[in-house]
Amino acid sequence: MRNGGEGRARLLLVILIVTSLFLITLDLRGVKVIEGFKQGTQTVLSPFQRAGAVVLNPVKDFFSDVTHLGRTRSQIEKLEAENANLKVKLLNRKNADAQLKQLKDILDLAGTAGYKVLNAKVISHGSSQSFSQTITIDSGSNAGIKKNMTVLSQFGLAGVVKDVYPNSALIQLASDPAFKVGARIAGSQQIGILSGNGNRSGSLQLLDNSTTVKVGDVLLARGSVANRPFVPGVPLGYVSQVSNSAGAVAQTAVVRYYTNFSTLGVVAVVVSGPTSEPGDSLVPQKPRVTPIPTVTVTVTPTPAASN
Amino acid sequence: MITRQISIATPIFLLIFVIQEAVISQFRLPGGGFSILLIFALTWAVLSQPEVAAVIGFSAGILMDLSQSASGPFGQWTLIMLLAGYAISYIGYGDDNIHANAIGIVFFVVVANFFVEIAYLVTGALLGVSTGSIGQIVITLIGMSVWALLVSPIMLPLFTRLHSLIFDSRSAL
Repeated sequence: MRNGGEGRARLLLVILIVTSLFLITLDLRGVKVIEGFKQGTQTVLSPFQRAGAVVLNPVKDFFSDVTHLGRTRSQIEKLEAENANLKVKLLNRKNADAQLKQLKDILDLAGTAGYKVLNAKVISHGSSQSFSQTITIDSGSNAGIKKNMTVLSQFGLAGVVKDVYPNSALIQLASDPAFKVGARIAGSQQIGILSGNGNRSGSLQLLDNSTTVKVGDVLLARGSVANRPFVPGVPLGYVSQVSNSAGAVAQTAVVRYYTNFSTLGVVAVVVSGPTSEPGDSLVPQKPRVTPIPTVTVTVTPTPAASN
Repeated sequence: MITRQISIATPIFLLIFVIQEAVISQFRLPGGGFSILLIFALTWAVLSQPEVAAVIGFSAGILMDLSQSASGPFGQWTLIMLLAGYAISYIGYGDDNIHANAIGIVFFVVVANFFVEIAYLVTGALLGVSTGSIGQIVITLIGMSVWALLVSPIMLPLFTRLHSLIFDSRSAL
């Protein structure tokens, strides 16, 4: 090559390629050293992520608001700065209120089913460079979280614990393409497998080809042995579209998840499942129409006075 | 020589990795967002000799494999980045049409970014990694390319300056 000869460069390239293939082989064979290496990295990174979450939380919300501020003039600069400061405080308050509401709803959901949960804040959303959907939470093995525990949002299933570190845990979201959960349709009890699609919709494949599914059917998690990775009865989503292809072995459908994965701020990890099967008790209530009293005013024209 | 350069570059890579994981990952950007580490490594690879670019790709790939969001087996990103680094440097090194103007480098980085993601998808499919629906993949690929196109020109002066400081070349733009 240009420096040091072509042979040396080729040798270096071959060594690096062999090393990469060696690493892939080790990982696919489940060698613990690689796992430990990743765990160590995450342990080191989690304080930075936590700090980043604290620092950036108001800033990322503030960006959209600051563009609406009026033109800067010297007389009102101070007031604008004060205004912006107050806006940040207000946004922080709104953020805290939203997280409080999420937390309350999660606890309501967990309480109804009898799940014992551990609440955690989301400190990082995984990058999509690897086409995966993950989040990191601020609690880990020190708080009692273990691998393959169910993770809830206030609306239902959020995901499952994929990796646990001392002070943080990696959650595989239900929207992840590699995610699969056994599902049953509330009411009819038909069973199937729900897979993530990389967005808020999932694909349901029914196991029995003689059964049918219809738009609006609600899906719940079937539950796993010893409640891991999935506790039974967790709301997953509802059927938004049914595919009726003639050649298909079993019926498939598109499912809209209840959880909005892009707005997750607080989640709950189910550390212990229910003592009894919750059945369909967690099926979300359909919104009821509140009757609005109407007042009818009849105006009768008075005969015009004629002089 | 190369050992000294790589040892100086290592803390920079680590810093960018921490920025990616602790700052960039906080924002759920539309279209899949971008990887500052990937853009950084590709920019440096364009500016470096092929063997140096291979080591840069290898180092960046190891860090990308260590990322919590890496869904494939450990080593997948390492292999792809190593080959990508070597390939783009092999194609572009010594070509002043690429090095002499910022547009050439940005173009190279954006195209390489796109092909690296394609390579990840293909090798992921071979290794049994799920990557989602075709529609979602297309959106993510387009989104990442657009982000790379937006971010690369902004970061290019800094990245090229760092490269020139460490590798003592005339690559600063």
